[in-house]
Amino acid sequence: MMDSFYLAWRYIVFNRIKTITLVLCISLVSFLPFALKILLNESEHQLMSRAITTPLLVGAKGNSLDLVMNSLYFSKEKPDFISMKAIEKVMDSYLAVPIPLYTRFHAREYPIVGTTLDYFEFRKHKVAEGRSFAMLGESLIGADVAARLNLKVGGSILSSPENLFDLAGVYPLKMKVVGILQKTNSVDDKAVFVDLKTTWVIQGLGHGHQDVKKIADESDVLSRSDKLVTTSTKIKQYTEINVDNLGSFHFHGDPSIYPLTAIIAVPNDKKSATILSGRYLSEQKNQQIVRPKKVIEDLLGNIFQIKEFIDAVVLIVAIAMVLAIFLVFSLSFRLRQKEISTILHLGCSRSTVVQLIGAEILIIAVFSGMLCFSSLLVLQYFQGEIVHQLFIS
Amino acid sequence: MNRSNTYFATKIILLSSLFLTFNNVNAEVDEAKLNIYTVNYPIKYFAESIAGDNAKVTLPMPGDIDPAFWEPKAEDVIGLQQADMILLNGANYAKWLPKVSLPLFKLVNTSAEFRDSYISLSEAVTHNHGSGGKHSHTGTAFTTWLDFSLAEKQAKSVFKALSRKQPKLNASFVENFIPLQKALLELDTELTEIGGALNGEALLGSHPVYQYLRAKYKLNLESVHWEPEEAPTEEQWNVLTKLLEKHPAKWMLWEGVPANETVLKLEALGVKSIVFSPTSNSPETGDFMTIMHENIANLKAILEKK
Repeated sequence: MMDSFYLAWRYIVFNRIKTITLVLCISLVSFLPFALKILLNESEHQLMSRAITTPLLVGAKGNSLDLVMNSLYFSKEKPDFISMKAIEKVMDSYLAVPIPLYTRFHAREYPIVGTTLDYFEFRKHKVAEGRSFAMLGESLIGADVAARLNLKVGGSILSSPENLFDLAGVYPLKMKVVGILQKTNSVDDKAVFVDLKTTWVIQGLGHGHQDVKKIADESDVLSRSDKLVTTSTKIKQYTEINVDNLGSFHFHGDPSIYPLTAIIAVPNDKKSATILSGRYLSEQKNQQIVRPKKVIEDLLGNIFQIKEFIDAVVLIVAIAMVLAIFLVFSLSFRLRQKEISTILHLGCSRSTVVQLIGAEILIIAVFSGMLCFSSLLVLQYFQGEIVHQLFIS
Repeated sequence: MNRSNTYFATKIILLSSLFLTFNNVNAEVDEAKLNIYTVNYPIKYFAESIAGDNAKVTLPMPGDIDPAFWEPKAEDVIGLQQADMILLNGANYAKWLPKVSLPLFKLVNTSAEFRDSYISLSEAVTHNHGSGGKHSHTGTAFTTWLDFSLAEKQAKSVFKALSRKQPKLNASFVENFIPLQKALLELDTELTEIGGALNGEALLGSHPVYQYLRAKYKLNLESVHWEPEEAPTEEQWNVLTKLLEKHPAKWMLWEGVPANETVLKLEALGVKSIVFSPTSNSPETGDFMTIMHENIANLKAILEKK
């Protein structure tokens, strides 16, 4: 028996190109359906876990999937903005607690999530190091952001410009890191949390600058009267909020029309959720209220329909592949007729020939299985990241 | 150990147990108490009057500053974040609020119900820079409680917030709220009568804090921007002299007791001083009601000397 394996192994090593091709083909055909199943299970887990725990979302009327994906997973697709008036509407109803979200900006590749402290209580997140943000310009970062950027409490992180070519845009804001969240195994690990008002400063709705009444260099002042000081663009605007300049920060315009991307509405009970949803259906023309669970279930329904299609394609490919492998082996045996007859002439029985071929097939199958299994292990290790990149971002 | 010693030791143990039990009961009561923060004294007074012993009400800023312009530090804000409820005045009162992070669901805007009645102020300083164009720093008058009908609505808002937070204590809150409501409405009636009796008599305000008082009680009042403890500058006197030409007032309402020198100089111009304190911060003596009654008594003095 061992002789058969030895001869089969020598044959395989001699015909290494053919063997490698066969191993790769078999591994790939076996890997695909399992990989698909792993990724779909993970995507279902990731998508549903947050959707189930987020009862209602209020946002601008439009694509409900964009609204849910942006609000729950901070995806790059941004829904239209709603205003702070939407918060007042939810608050005044006393049917739900509103948690605002503004997820327009990034710090490097990590989303900056403007929200209130209610978010952490709602998601049951705890601070691992430092404290939660308390002042304008402070940030609380996810565990992965801290690890990957090697950020510690007391460090700082800079907001990224929305557009590299927006030379006239607002200055990046240097945000002080005052705390690091405990690992949550969710997208929150990869986010930079700030107070909602800090995101408005990043946008330029609020800013701090030197006191216009005390400008020493008169060339910076274009005109001056009792009620109006017009300054040139040379006036110094602060790009970092600290104890010394916090007092100079202020907001312009009506705060009730400041933008948000969504509101998480946490209803008092099921009845409150139904009443609130009903109000949006009947009264709100520019806003919608969605149940993330329903939106994600619809999305997963579509994904599983696609999966069934892909399964069918994989099955056809697998059948074609099996036939091709059968053809490869049969052609190989035909080419090896002389070799087989030599073996028979040497006095070996037909069963020895069968053992020899069986050993070759077994070795190829084992190698293919090992390759498939190890690839699946690697996939399983990175499944969270892959699903985030493929289905969520 | 003899018998008397045993008796003494037993007594000590029993007393200690009793003391510890009593302390635990107290601790439980304290834990059950609502931890409320407010942004000014009138709201604190309303909350304390309605909640009684069921809440610990804190006004977090020092007593010698205007609460509207307090500049809290991160430690102060962390304290506020621990509150069960933070009662706001609304009308852009707490200028520090946009610079701090507080949990939204703990905030109660006591003037939200009448936000359409806020009085807008004319623009203060306007400037422009960068691509944002001209910016105007307009504001909102915030001493809403000086219109006692609005103060009553704010007190009602505090009452509703407390009842929502502690529905089991609703009966106690109702019992406490009714006399407060009655007292505020009585103040409103009394001031309405005084406003009517003043019949357009020209008045001055030392500080622009009397907008709601003027609007509700139809006072013919114009304000300058003076501080009671600071001597006005020459420029401020000039502004007043010009104002008196078109608004010949004989009385100036002050937030606090003005400096004697200022009083004498004003009298030389034919303007007498009376105190009408908004009591934004905790008073050294008395409470909201006693001070408002003093304010009204001071206004009545105008009628008597008219």
